[in-house]
Amino acid sequence: MIPRLVTVGWRPGDGRWRRVHVPVLPALLVLSPLLLPAVLGGLVACVVFGVSPLGALRGAGRLVWALPGTRFEIEQGRTAVLVNVR
Amino acid sequence: MNEQRRQVLQMLAEGKITAEEAERLIDALGRDRSPSPPEAGSRTKPRPKYLRVVVVSEEGAGDWAGEAFGGDGTSRINIRVPLQLLRAGVRLTSLVPPQALTRANAELHRSGVDIDLTQLKPQHIEELIEHLDELTVDIDSADAKVQIFCE
Repeated sequence: MIPRLVTVGWRPGDGRWRRVHVPVLPALLVLSPLLLPAVLGGLVACVVFGVSPLGALRGAGRLVWALPGTRFEIEQGRTAVLVNVR
Repeated sequence: MNEQRRQVLQMLAEGKITAEEAERLIDALGRDRSPSPPEAGSRTKPRPKYLRVVVVSEEGAGDWAGEAFGGDGTSRINIRVPLQLLRAGVRLTSLVPPQALTRANAELHRSGVDIDLTQLKPQHIEELIEHLDELTVDIDSADAKVQIFCE
């Protein structure tokens, strides 16, 4: 399943959590004008460096599909960072 | 169940049913019995989906890091990675062009690490990930605790 929501949270020294919830699909739609040239650039880079473009696309797709459920939480004293993919 | 089978055979011997009917009945009895193995399988432990890394450390107390981050020095790392993500990452290694592997091998050899990356096949690494679910690392020292496990 494609990731639906990415939550990025951080807690500076003041101890208050700040969280940003990024809905992936709307964000992708908004960024699509940038995303398309980036994908094309990536495909050209694949051809230049002798990597199969189709394999690279399939691999990247698998990677994105496997992302939901990923969670990173790092705390150091009162500061903390959190990344959660749902 | 054996009793039912015996009854079918008894009816066949007495001529109450034909051989074909007996065969059908015995087949039906066999089908009734077949759902039991999956039930036994469902009782086994479900396959883990995530790799968890948990580190709790009290080491930073009073050191520069603890002071710089304004905390009490306790640090916690909690990482949950889907095993599927590891598999997808491993599959990406098959895309690395052979000439890049040769150059990496040469650099590794120059650094004194004799590992031939061309011999490292994605299916071998996938097998390694398949068996990760049996892995449990539990390190418990005075100032830190590290746990790596699958759930």
